[in-house]
Amino acid sequence: MNKFFKALCIAVSGVATCSLTACNGGGRREKYEQQSLEALYGKFDGDIERGTESRPITLHILENDTAKQSGYLKLLLDGFNEKYKEYNIVAVDANQDQFSDLAEDGKYGYGPDVLYQANDVLMKYCSGKHITPLPVEKLDAYSELPELARSTYTYKYRGAEYLMGVGVNVQAPMVYYRKDLLPENWEEEWDENKNGVPDMQEDMRAMWRFGKARNAADKDKYGFMQSLFDPYFSCGYLFTYGAYVFGNDNTDTTDIGFDAGDSKLGAGVILQLAESMNMGCVDDSITLARESEFASGAYFAVNNTQDMYGTMIDELANVYSKQGMTSSDARKAAVENIVAAPMPALPASGDLSEREGELLDSIVMGGINGYAISSYTKYPKASLAFLNYATSFEMVVKRNEYLGISPARSDCNKAAVVQADVAHSLYDMVETGRISIMPTVSGADSIWKPLQTAFTDIATDPYREGGKKFTAADGACDLDALDVLLKTINKNIYNTIHTFGDGNN
Amino acid sequence: MSTLSKADKLINKSIKRKRVGGRLTFKRFCEYFFTYLALMIIAAIFAFPVLWLVLASFSESGSMYTFKGFFPSSYSVVTFVKLFTDTQMYDYPRWFGNTLIIAVCSALLGGLLVILTAYVMSRFRFPARKGIMKITMVLGMFPSFMAMTAVYLLMTQFELINKLWGLVLIYASGAPMGYLTQKGFFDTIPNSMYEAARIDGASNFKVFIRITLPIAMPMIVYTLITSFTWPWSDFILPKLLLKNKDMYTVAVGLMSLGDTEFARFAAGSVFIAVPIIILYFCLVKYMVNGLTAGAVKE
Amino acid sequence: MTDCEIYHGKPPLFKRIGGWFKNIPTRVKTFFVALGGKFKRIPLGFFARAKYIKTAPRPVKASMGLMGVGQLMQKQIVKGILFLLMFAAYVVYMALEGGGAMYDFFALGLVPPNPWLNIEGDNSVVMMLLGILAFIITGFFIAVHMANIRDAQRTFDYVKRGNPVPGFKHSLASMFDKYFYVTALVFPVVGVFVFNILPIIFMIFLAFTDYSGNIVLNGSLVSWIGFSNFKQLFSTGLIGATFLKILGWNLLWAVMSTLLNYFGGLAIALLLNKKIVKGKRIWRAFPVLAFAVPGFITLLAFKFMFSNLGPINYYIDLLGGKTRMFFGIDSKWSARIIGWLVNAWLSIPSSMLLATGILANLNADLYEAARIDGASPWTQFVKITLPFVVFATTPVLIGQFMGNFNNFGVFYFLRGGIICDGYYLASDTDLLINWLYSLSIDNKHYSLGAAISIIIFVIAAAISLFVYVKSPSYAKEDMYR
Repeated sequence: MNKFFKALCIAVSGVATCSLTACNGGGRREKYEQQSLEALYGKFDGDIERGTESRPITLHILENDTAKQSGYLKLLLDGFNEKYKEYNIVAVDANQDQFSDLAEDGKYGYGPDVLYQANDVLMKYCSGKHITPLPVEKLDAYSELPELARSTYTYKYRGAEYLMGVGVNVQAPMVYYRKDLLPENWEEEWDENKNGVPDMQEDMRAMWRFGKARNAADKDKYGFMQSLFDPYFSCGYLFTYGAYVFGNDNTDTTDIGFDAGDSKLGAGVILQLAESMNMGCVDDSITLARESEFASGAYFAVNNTQDMYGTMIDELANVYSKQGMTSSDARKAAVENIVAAPMPALPASGDLSEREGELLDSIVMGGINGYAISSYTKYPKASLAFLNYATSFEMVVKRNEYLGISPARSDCNKAAVVQADVAHSLYDMVETGRISIMPTVSGADSIWKPLQTAFTDIATDPYREGGKKFTAADGACDLDALDVLLKTINKNIYNTIHTFGDGNN
Repeated sequence: MSTLSKADKLINKSIKRKRVGGRLTFKRFCEYFFTYLALMIIAAIFAFPVLWLVLASFSESGSMYTFKGFFPSSYSVVTFVKLFTDTQMYDYPRWFGNTLIIAVCSALLGGLLVILTAYVMSRFRFPARKGIMKITMVLGMFPSFMAMTAVYLLMTQFELINKLWGLVLIYASGAPMGYLTQKGFFDTIPNSMYEAARIDGASNFKVFIRITLPIAMPMIVYTLITSFTWPWSDFILPKLLLKNKDMYTVAVGLMSLGDTEFARFAAGSVFIAVPIIILYFCLVKYMVNGLTAGAVKE
Repeated sequence: MTDCEIYHGKPPLFKRIGGWFKNIPTRVKTFFVALGGKFKRIPLGFFARAKYIKTAPRPVKASMGLMGVGQLMQKQIVKGILFLLMFAAYVVYMALEGGGAMYDFFALGLVPPNPWLNIEGDNSVVMMLLGILAFIITGFFIAVHMANIRDAQRTFDYVKRGNPVPGFKHSLASMFDKYFYVTALVFPVVGVFVFNILPIIFMIFLAFTDYSGNIVLNGSLVSWIGFSNFKQLFSTGLIGATFLKILGWNLLWAVMSTLLNYFGGLAIALLLNKKIVKGKRIWRAFPVLAFAVPGFITLLAFKFMFSNLGPINYYIDLLGGKTRMFFGIDSKWSARIIGWLVNAWLSIPSSMLLATGILANLNADLYEAARIDGASPWTQFVKITLPFVVFATTPVLIGQFMGNFNNFGVFYFLRGGIICDGYYLASDTDLLINWLYSLSIDNKHYSLGAAISIIIFVIAAAISLFVYVKSPSYAKEDMYR
């Protein structure tokens, strides 16, 4: 009988193992794999859904916090609700965290119907089909979108291309400086090419020199300040010298290119910049202090994205009114004195201390924020109507007016009223390829931590007591060491994505 | 603790009191000096960060880096006014209400379950008992956030996402896992007390209601406080389960504040501490007693 | 030990250690022999059960066949119907949900979801979860069934002894009396099963699936893959090395911070306990103040305080010192030390309260006697206070150790976002739990995270269970009654 018991044990465990390892739905899963996508756009055909008086259709709209704060969202919702009153469609604020994850909430029914997020966030939803492809012929804004906005939101799947979202605004770090902090005689001393534009705005070498001079005069005052550890803001220095994120148009995650070209020169620029700042550049101290220290005059220039423009104006106006201006004068002066420009050009040699020599237009990492429609919405046609309304000429112009964003639509870009120069120059940068869009393939999330680590490492170097890692004995950058570091970034990113299975299937 | 040992203590105390009075020698002065110095240093260490938060909440500017060292460059009460009136983006009063509902309900429900569990584990002997004791000991060691995925899935299936009740349910059902302190307390109640009641014909349920609960009052207070503080300051679970901003708890809400809202963050933090401080000050006596009884088998 | 020399008192330490090692083979052997014995007894129990089934009285047999029938046969109508209803409820559940859920647990779904086409598809993880739930419900049902058989037998014996058939009222009363422990434990046990044990079982099973990376992001179907995750864990050099490095630091962290918190709390409690201290309640209030602010808020406050442009550096600079990066990339040890201190700041208040309570119960006579014997305060502390306090708080101490071992908050808030050389997705201050978070939440390697957490769990559980079972508070819990 003991034998019988043993046999029973083996049989049970055998069955359990077999069913656990082999069952898996087996080959029967395969027949469901090839679903035809022909009916894909069918849900957008026909008349728009209609609610009833007592049970209107409710669309949940996810917007970002600044849109909510500035009152733009209210304007948008009210306008839409007025227009679609007869259909009994009501758009409401989804009232969720602006970073909420559709992949997590959508399929359980807690996600929004229409969502406004950054392109890398939205495109992350594609592989799980959480956002739905949009019918191009039914999009009013499509014809006005620049090529970059279209390609950014294009998702390639089984040989076909799908448009997954509509870009609304281009966003990239710009340099912001205070005109009123320029030295009195800047036209003689800081405008070598005599074009009426301060050199600091055009040339990072001048900015660097100016910062050093300013700091030498008063140790609490600085020139250009930035939290250099921040990968989003600092990537651009590498891109300018030829680095890229992923090969094959940011899609091949096995080819990581942070060490490509003369990227190590860019790393050297970061190192030299770190030396001209203070220890705050190693962590997020400067980012957190950015608006207030800029307003107080401690920082001459910072880099920032367009959505923070309003805050910068507020802070500076606040400082002015404390100095005795009336509040409307203070505001006017603030708008007057804050100048925005593309990031200054970098020296081809990578040496900020040289006076002469060739310059490279700087490239920055940017994004195109936009709207997309959740695949889980019950009212695709109403959602599409909302998307069209929100990306219409009037609304995008209003968005610029309320938020200072740079419209992606070409007609709106021309009509921009707030930060119009910024909007135009960003548009130029889009056209000339000076904005490198955040990669959107799956696995792109893995680049941030290794990058942040490396930038922290570089920015720490000037503040190391001894045993500097990237500075040679004569004080110059140790380019070989920097190159090794860049290769480490690649390796770390590769490991993160590919150590377990293929992150790119 | 029988009445006898209490009497002993009283006698001891009176003896001690006689002995304490003495002349002020240099040695005694030193003892006084260093004791109070140490106390002051300790008080400063513990009070300082909290005081600093209070100070920061009165800062006029939102950014921390306008501070000169620990001190804001200018003060105002505007943040507190904003905290309660500017609710368009950050509805602090509402978050506060949500947190209060969750914490109070979980404290009541969870407290009841803990007391029941601890009492039963201490008073009864049944076959699965030692097994349950070991299992609960071991279960507490599983990295809890690894189970969060399952909790989230479970709550989606029960349709309890975005509902305060869902959180109450989780907190309350997790509470019995920490029954050990309470069990220790019940272990100290002599069996003879129960036996007397049992001889009078009371059922075990009645014994629990009539005898156990009244004796256990300090322990119950202690349990209620601890089961209150956990939901009150927890961040991870509500972040996972509450999607709608109107449903947020204070902890989640504070974490969702923008970078430039430090003063508001500090003000919100100060307010979240107030109920707990009040609770502690009213009940600190019970707390100490409860803990004592729970940990010491005397 | 047969070759043991004769010692007066304890043998010297090295002998004891040697003996401990010498005994390992014997102990391992005993363990397996005992285990083997248990397995040998299984068939015996099996036969005994089989015999019982044959010889049981008729109503009991009936109850074995169909729940509640035995009770009905013995004229316990209400009870019988209740049991029958439970049976019916279980059958209905299994027919409608449970059976399918159990099948799905193995198959993990067939139809991949395609939200584009409004195909909801199968959600593998939910299937797994509901499958486990179905198994747990079945387990409960079996337990109820057993209880039903036992109940039938008990009633049978009771009546056989010449008693009248106990009515439903009687049964109800016994639920609040003899079986009060069952009634009282139903809700806690169900709650703990559903919200604590079920998720943990789920995580354990997850370690044997490929729920990771894109499958998580895309919500595609999950498959069972056996032990591949564990294999990967040990075959990929960097991961194994990271695990060992972090484990070492984690143990050091947990031991040091437990000691620091424990003795810190004790020291403050002793200080407050001094007779010369007036206004104890006020002094005690300061640490309690620190207790009242939620941990994550204080952690963020500390992070800011020690940040590169923070107040600490501001004052260092003002006093002409050299500012430093407390949480920088090179600051392994300064970050670790600040971590210990910050954690102490957070935890000492509660251990102080605990120690205060215990000291209040310490018998003052012992000190009197010691003083008369001329013992110094230090000797009194070592010989009287310490053993008593440690004895009384072993379970709490274990709890604190585990709390520190799995302390997620401190380094997550103080120093996140860095990867150090020689680590896989972790920094040199990260604890295992931080690493797990980075792997599973940040990088979606859930199945791998589950595998690692099983290993951590086994290590931690073994240590603490050993200490707990050996501790007097477990072994001699009735000592003071």
